[in-house]
Order: sequence, then C-alpha cells, then structure tokens
Amino acid sequence: MSDQEPIAVDGALYIEIQRFLFREAALLDHREYGAWLALTTEDIQYCVTAAVSRDAGANAVDYSIIDENLVGLKSRIDQISNPRLTRAENPPSMTRRVVSNIEAYHSKVPSEFSATSYLLAYRSRPSAPKGGFYVAERQDLLRKSGSDWRLARRSVRLDHIMLFDGALSTLL
Amino acid sequence: MAVRSSASENNGWVDVRRGLVSRDVFVSDEIFRLEMERIFDRTWVFLAHETEIPAAGDFVSRSLGSAPVIVVRDSDDTIHVLLNSCRHRGATVCRPDSGNVRNFVCPYHGWTYERSGRLMTTTFDRHLPKDFVLSEHGLVHVPRVEVHKGLIFGSWNANVVPLSEYLGEIAWYIDPFLSRSPQGMEVLAPPHRWRAKSNWKVGALNFVGDSQHILTTHVGPLTLDPVRAARAGFATAAENSFQVVTDRGHGCTLTYLAPGLPEEAYQTHPPDLEPLYSKVLQADQRQLLNRLRVIVGTIFPNLSFIETQVGPAQKAVIVRQWRPISGTEMEILSWVLAEKEAPAEYKTTVLRNGFHNFGVAGVFEQDDLELWASATYASNNAIAKQFPYSFHTALPYIDAPEKDHKWPGRAFKPADTEVAQLEFMRQWDRCMKSAP
Repeated sequence: MSDQEPIAVDGALYIEIQRFLFREAALLDHREYGAWLALTTEDIQYCVTAAVSRDAGANAVDYSIIDENLVGLKSRIDQISNPRLTRAENPPSMTRRVVSNIEAYHSKVPSEFSATSYLLAYRSRPSAPKGGFYVAERQDLLRKSGSDWRLARRSVRLDHIMLFDGALSTLL
Repeated sequence: MAVRSSASENNGWVDVRRGLVSRDVFVSDEIFRLEMERIFDRTWVFLAHETEIPAAGDFVSRSLGSAPVIVVRDSDDTIHVLLNSCRHRGATVCRPDSGNVRNFVCPYHGWTYERSGRLMTTTFDRHLPKDFVLSEHGLVHVPRVEVHKGLIFGSWNANVVPLSEYLGEIAWYIDPFLSRSPQGMEVLAPPHRWRAKSNWKVGALNFVGDSQHILTTHVGPLTLDPVRAARAGFATAAENSFQVVTDRGHGCTLTYLAPGLPEEAYQTHPPDLEPLYSKVLQADQRQLLNRLRVIVGTIFPNLSFIETQVGPAQKAVIVRQWRPISGTEMEILSWVLAEKEAPAEYKTTVLRNGFHNFGVAGVFEQDDLELWASATYASNNAIAKQFPYSFHTALPYIDAPEKDHKWPGRAFKPADTEVAQLEFMRQWDRCMKSAP
C-alpha cells in the first residue's frame, strides 16, 4: 500500500460518520434547517454541480449550480424555511433523502475525514406531485471535535443530464 | 357574475383592445405546433454565444425550433449550424453537448462530414449509383447564421431579414449589456439547462416586463439579501423607470435606483471596467447604464436577458432562452456573462452570485417556476380556458407612449404596467396569423 492511498475508516468511527450523515439527512427531511446549519462549520463550502454530456475521450465539463459559503447557505435556508418568504417551499416539498454506499477515509489532519456517499433524494410538491429523484454522488469533508461532527465541505455531483421538474429549491 | 368570454375579437387568441389573451395560448399543443411552423421555423432564433465555441472545431449541440442542430466553428472561423441528423438514416452524428471535432463521423454507418457539413464519404461510395452527388447529401445547413455582439442566431428561413434589421431599435438597449467593452462579453460557464412545466411564453413575458410580480413572488430574496437596495428604495425606483417596446415584439424594462440612497449605491458597475465602456458605447448608452438598478428584456421570440446587481458594483448579465418543448413544457437555458477584460476574481464572483439568483437553483428562479407551473396546471382544463388571462393594466397606457423619449423605440411610463407584455403578445399574434 502506497503512501498516497487513503486509509479507510473502520469500526466505531465509521459508524459515527454513517450516523452523522443519516442524522443530517433526517434534519433536512424534517425541515429542521437551523439544526442542520448548526452541523456545518464556519468555513463551510457547499457545492452542487451538474455535468455536460461529453465524448468519453474528452475532458469532463462540470458546471456549478450551487456554490455557497455560510452566508449564502444561510440566506437560502432563511428563504425556504420561512413560509412568508418562499413560494417554492410553501407548501413545503416532501422529501426523503436516502444516503448509501458510504465510504470514509482518514486525511492528513487527524480530526478531518473525507466521506463519499450516494444520494437518492426523493421530492414531491404541489406543482410536481408525481415526484422525482435527485441522484448524486457526494464528497464531504467532516471535522470531528470531541464527540461532535461537523460538515466542512460538501460537493454534490448530480447524475442528471437535465433536471425535469423546475428549479432546485432544496438542499442535497 | 363571472364574465364568460374568450378573447374573441379575431381568432380568439389575443385581444389587444380588451387586454385579454386566451388561456389556450399557454397550454395548447396544437398552438405549439403552429408556433414551430409560423415562428420558430421562420424567424431568427438564438443558438449559442460565440465564446462557447472559441476554437476551430469547437461545437455545441442546441436546437433551432424543434430540430436538433450542431453549432460548430470551422477552421476559417465561419460558424456553421447543421441539422444534427445523418442524411443516410437519421442518426445524430454529434451526440455530446459540447466538444471539439475534426469532422463528423456518423457512428451508425460511417458517413463522414466536414465541419461545414459537406459529405466527404459514405464509406461505401463504391456502391453508390453513378448519379449520386455527394455534395447534395451533406448535413442539412441552417441557411442563415448571423452574429450580433457575440450572440449567434440562426434561421431556417433563407429569406429572413438581416439580423440587424430584425433586432432594430432594441439593439441600442441590449448592446450595453451584451458588449460594452472592446473585447466584449464572454460566457462564464456552460449554461444551466433544465425543464419546467410551463409554456415558454410565460418566461418570455415575465422577462419582457413584469414589474408587478417582483415584490410578491420574490419577497424572499429581496427581504434577505443584504446587497440589494432596500425594498422601499426599489419600489420608489419604479417612478424613474420605463418600459421600451420596439417593432417585432422586442421589449425591455429599465428600473432605476431611487434618489437619496448612499453615494456608493450609485456605483452600479465596476469602477475599473467603466473606462472601457466609453470606448464602445455612445454617451447616451453610458447614461443608460448610469444609476440603473435592473434591466430585463426579451428579444422576440424567446431570448431574454437580465442585468442585475449581485454584489457591490458587481453586475451579472444573464442571458436566458425559453425553449418550447410542448404547450405545457419548456426547456430553459441560462448563461452568465461578464466582460472579457474583467479580472478572474470578479468573473468568479459574478458567476457564483449570478446563478445564486438566476439558474436552476436560483433563489429568484425557484419561486418564479413554482408559480408558473401552478398556472399551467390550473389553466389546462376546459373550464379555466373559458376565462382569458388579464393584461388589463396595459390598456390605459398602450396607446400613449412618452412623447419626449429621446432614445429608440417607444417608451412607456410607469414601468410597472403590462404594456410590453401585451405588445409581445400582439406581435406573437401577428406572426401566428401571417401566411407562409
């Protein structure tokens, strides 16, 4: 095993990371946005990207659709969580985030861990009652302080050539 | 008692005199098919920005009307727009959304075309009859392709008027936002692209001039974003503002900053870039930029743009296309532009703040789309269709443009009426009724 190969997290630590990801998904599904935001770090970078369809031999071209620091993230949340300030999320979307295929790795910093996960986020709302899924692979950077875990970076790579039901107003 | 009347003065679609537009216009698949024939196959339609295909061989896959096309730059810098369908058996010869090619090789049977669309070989040329002329079987060429300030337009109509004539008076208003520095604007990233369950005209109308929806639909971002002018400042700015309507249905709405704000609020564009504007713009066009809070507009039929403040002295120019998919669905493409000469850091910020507001996850976008989808859903039934949409607030003003307007086009005040929207529908109606 070379120096550069990341070391996978095992055992109790893996279960903590898994629990963290499940918990923050549940907070979003229950629309406990304040509690969710409290799980992010001050220097949080939250990104969602989509990809242009490219020839297999050509370089990938991703483009950003959400790219927020804490201020931007908070303003998004302030909008969708306040019934007076949102149309897209009032009535609120019904969502269910299924997080799976979690792998976690140690990093050079002892308190930091990278985690990849698959996301299947279901969403139904009055203008699209049939509902649909957002499917993505996520790369997270998690920080542990004592027994507290926090999300420092999230990159969500959508597996969609195109989104089909209007704007993305929820978090993934 | 409910007034049951369809917009019945002419063919039942648009009644300018009474300010009514039939709901069918916004949901009908039959009308959509007619639009493809009478509008999208006949007029100039936006395809791509030049900076999306900067190098020889660069291409993007787009649509012209309902037809998929390839927009490709040839080695002599010519831009070709080609039907993306092999002349043999129809397979798409160019399957990715973007890339670079030396030529187009159909993956089905190997028919090979140059970037110009010229057929080089079928790879079975030895079996072709003697009278088969290769040059007659090239990729179907969009007959008219012209560029205006970096925007590539195409038309299936070989006899369409020149693009400059088509844009006419609206060019004076849009040029300061499409190209105001010597090197012009560039697209900062591939476009956001997504589908929405609404008719394409709902978006086109919203952007030609719907000031009335801003404070209600967008109460969220206007309340929350600290960069924006105060709500009160924004509302009173409507007094200084105006709509412009030009021939052929193009229009825009200019909203100025209210008086009495702190001085730095009036630094609307980056101070470092402003000296470049005087090299390109007329003095009056410079004045157009000065103290402008927002300009939003639509170039008939389905190209819109908005320039809005996204940070202190930071303006994002967003170009936006509403592509018709059916009577009740559209595909939206959205680009963010900035001056080529701008520093990289400025471009990064403008891009990010641009799509924070307008894009598939935009904080303005999300509320627009939700309400538009609800309108489509509620309108698409026989009962609702008996009650045309209201454009009444255009009526007291539509015949009285500003007399002392010294800039092109017809100007209307105040800016928060539905004049530009009704004029757009008037032009739509004209196009739909005109013979081939």
